[in-house]
Amino acid sequence: MIAELMARIRSLWRGVVRTRQVDADLNDEFRLHIELRAADLVRAGMTPAEAARRARAEFGSVEHHVERARNARGLAWFDEMRFSWLDLKLGGRMLVKYPVLTIVGGFSMAFAIWVGAGTFEAIRQLVFPVIPLPDADRIVMLQNWDASANRPELRATHDFVAWRGSVQSVRDLGAYRTVTRNLMITEGLAEPVYTAEVSAAAFRVVRVPPVLGRTLAESDEQSDAPLVAVIGYDLWQSRFNGDSGVIGRTVRLTGAPATIVGVMPDGFAFPRTQEVWVPLRIDVSGYDRRQGMAIRIFGRLAPGASLEQARTELTNLGRIAAADFPQTHQHLRPQLFTFAESVRAINGPGEAMTLLTGNIFVMMLLVLVCANVGLLMFARAATRETEIVVRSALGASRRRIVMQMFAEALVLGGVAAVVGLTAAGWGVRWGLDHMRAELTDASGNFAFWVDGRLSPLTFGYTALLTLVAAAMAGILPGLKITRNLGNRLKGTTAGAGGSQFGGMWTAVIVLQLAVTMGFPLVTLFVRKDAVKIETQPLPFPVEQYLSVRLDMERLSTEPGADTSAAAFEARYAAAARKLEMRLESEPGVTGVVFAQHLPRQYHPNNQVEVDEGALAPLDERGYRVGSSRVDPKYLDVLGVSMLSGRWFNTSEASPDARVAVVNKAFVDRVMGGKNPIGRRIRYVSDPEPQPWFEIIGVAPDVGIKSGWGPAGIYLPLVRTSMYPLNAAIHLRGDPNAFAQRLRAIATDVDVTLRLADLMPLKDVVNGEVRFYAFWVRLTTIVSAMVLVLSLVSIYAVMSFAVSRRTREIGVRVALGGSPWRIVTAVFAHPLRQLGMGLFAGTLLVWALQGGTDNGWPTAKELLTLGAYTTLMAVVCLIACFVPTRRALAVQPTEALRDY
Amino acid sequence: MATAELLPGTLDVLILKAVSLGKLHGYGVLLRIEQISGGALLVQQGALYQALARLEHRGLIDAEWGTSENNRSAKYYRLTTAGRRALGEESASWKRLSDAIGLALSAKPGEA
Repeated sequence: MIAELMARIRSLWRGVVRTRQVDADLNDEFRLHIELRAADLVRAGMTPAEAARRARAEFGSVEHHVERARNARGLAWFDEMRFSWLDLKLGGRMLVKYPVLTIVGGFSMAFAIWVGAGTFEAIRQLVFPVIPLPDADRIVMLQNWDASANRPELRATHDFVAWRGSVQSVRDLGAYRTVTRNLMITEGLAEPVYTAEVSAAAFRVVRVPPVLGRTLAESDEQSDAPLVAVIGYDLWQSRFNGDSGVIGRTVRLTGAPATIVGVMPDGFAFPRTQEVWVPLRIDVSGYDRRQGMAIRIFGRLAPGASLEQARTELTNLGRIAAADFPQTHQHLRPQLFTFAESVRAINGPGEAMTLLTGNIFVMMLLVLVCANVGLLMFARAATRETEIVVRSALGASRRRIVMQMFAEALVLGGVAAVVGLTAAGWGVRWGLDHMRAELTDASGNFAFWVDGRLSPLTFGYTALLTLVAAAMAGILPGLKITRNLGNRLKGTTAGAGGSQFGGMWTAVIVLQLAVTMGFPLVTLFVRKDAVKIETQPLPFPVEQYLSVRLDMERLSTEPGADTSAAAFEARYAAAARKLEMRLESEPGVTGVVFAQHLPRQYHPNNQVEVDEGALAPLDERGYRVGSSRVDPKYLDVLGVSMLSGRWFNTSEASPDARVAVVNKAFVDRVMGGKNPIGRRIRYVSDPEPQPWFEIIGVAPDVGIKSGWGPAGIYLPLVRTSMYPLNAAIHLRGDPNAFAQRLRAIATDVDVTLRLADLMPLKDVVNGEVRFYAFWVRLTTIVSAMVLVLSLVSIYAVMSFAVSRRTREIGVRVALGGSPWRIVTAVFAHPLRQLGMGLFAGTLLVWALQGGTDNGWPTAKELLTLGAYTTLMAVVCLIACFVPTRRALAVQPTEALRDY
Repeated sequence: MATAELLPGTLDVLILKAVSLGKLHGYGVLLRIEQISGGALLVQQGALYQALARLEHRGLIDAEWGTSENNRSAKYYRLTTAGRRALGEESASWKRLSDAIGLALSAKPGEA
């Protein structure tokens, strides 16, 4: 039994893999057979020529016997599934012969492949980052996990020192922490740079040599060693003009002098986006265990050591530490990851599911586009029905014909894949650039492993997509067109009508119509949302303001300074106050105000409730409104007046104040236009109820962006408990021109102050808006493509369906049918499809819109919707009308000729 | 001597029998069947190679290349262990069938 099975597998394998050899063997065998037979016939008295002829005649067709022998080996199925170079050539010829289908179908498939490959690449970069460092899979990160608090414990200097001395399976253990330092090259002007305080071991772990000078050395880590710095390539180019004499130059890093000793190559930014590296000086004597600075620990697996061995070793060390120091280490579990695992943007099944859902959308788009191309291929195949029937009559099996159609679709898909992949590379870079704000840290740079290039995995995925697309666009219509070929042969010769669209294709057409309607409308709504955020007019001259976020170094540069949180807050508040006074004394400055969030910045939203008088919320989500704590002079500096009630006074800028000001949008949306003054408002929170705040006034809408509409509340700012603060500076001249001066003043006020997001207030666009802008552009492109492709294919398909009825129409006319009744009969089916499609489209729009908070479309939008729906209807009607008119013009004798 | 058409399904067992007597190339199988059937059975030449391919695919016969009587390269078939077992089973089955049909056809009116 097993021997038989093995023999079959061997025979099949040989037949598939060594087709030519098997055929050559058979031919040799047949030739011998004919020769031996001819020799026998010669011995029986025939002449050699006659014997040879007779032997060949007796044997019959060699090709036929070869085919039968292959069939006997079970290879018929493979033979029919295999397509030859000729099939592909024929497919290529078909592309040239039907240029409209090639362009429309090719674009559709290229578009689907573009979206599919682009999404896949984006997901791959987020989930499976490839670290561009030598032997990066052996670079590991070590950390303590606090099992009781369910979070990592990064204050691990004691553990780091212990591990460095004892861990055998990981070499070159080092640690880093990332900080932002003010880099001052020339006196008086400091700019923040993203810096890593890092062990010298890092440069052995990453195995990247400097382009200039040296990397950090262990001796640099000594507390009494002079401060040295290694700088990144971009910084070297941009701030030192690539000067090779940079080595040995002294700069100031947050006030402290540091000597540049090396320059790293282009693209090097370990551990993430850093551009300056200074030695990490760890002194455990000043701290207890689980105290001191937060660090991240890394190393490289020792030669021959596996991840598992390293994990086991670390777990054992964790047990020993837990026994030796139960008070601090009882709940700590040491963990070890590869560097790639530690920097994954997406972790855990929940987020993976979100990604999967995103991909399902892409797959749905692909299915739809391919079904669309399938429709067109079917329409084309229907026009080649006679050819197909004749091929079938000449012996081509159904499978063979279907495979031929698959080959044609594959050629189309191949061309589309090349176009789609080229565009995907560009699309990923474009997408990454637009998502910069979401994917990067405060430096605005991508982590060094993020790039816009397509990976081999994505090429493989695209090949798979192309196969799936070709299967859908080639095999499905092929199966449909070759159904009942025997009957079709009779029908064709008798002159009857050919293939018609069945229920499946009707469903595809309806779906196509629905999506064609749904996509652009969703874009319209998204655009409406984005436009609302971007262009909401502000009641003050926004172009006259400069905005800045005020950050500060946590560690004071003063020796022996108090490092507690309270001391930092006090230091920060004092610096902010000093900066405010300095700015107010500047001649070009007319006002300075601090706030938690400035107009147009993102304001976090919270659910609120009003004690009485509010409208009932629409659903259980209640009212979510944006909020910001602002200075009492906020409205004065912005130059706007209260609508009613009063604003905060200076005495209310305290933690105990229980007063709030709402904006006009809040009054409209939550209060239904009723006067809110005197009412009380509080945050809804569970289980502890929050305190009530009394509403004392109504302010105009000055740019609250919360993702839940413009409604919002203002609370008084308490300077000593808010970090970081944003400042709006009202200027007489160009805000950009003041930026340099502001940096100089800030450095002068306190060298540890850092100015972040320094830009004119009119340019403030928060991440959400940036995301919206990206999303709007993307959906607009997707929608425009879907729209054009869909309209073309709807036209092609409807036109085809009606043209298939040409003969029927001619016969009806010949039999005296009234043209009006004929037109009604012909249009009934397409119109039904149109109606169903529009209805399904409306449902789709409603479903997609259901989860958002946009409210109902305005009259203008309804008009756009109406116009758009009409356009679709007109396209469909023209698609029906043109072939109908042609059919009505057919001479009855012509129509009846074949009967 | 009159020739007879092969019954469907009998070619395979005849080929197995032919190669059980010694390894043969395709044309040799054809001649051997004619010889052992006393010239009564004629095999369609095309059908022969289809059957040989089928039996080889099923692992009942095995093939190797050798040299023919006219000094040409030839593919020689021989019986495998599985083929020998199959031949035994088929022969027994055929004998039972032929005995039963013979018995049935020799029945006389009085025996019914």
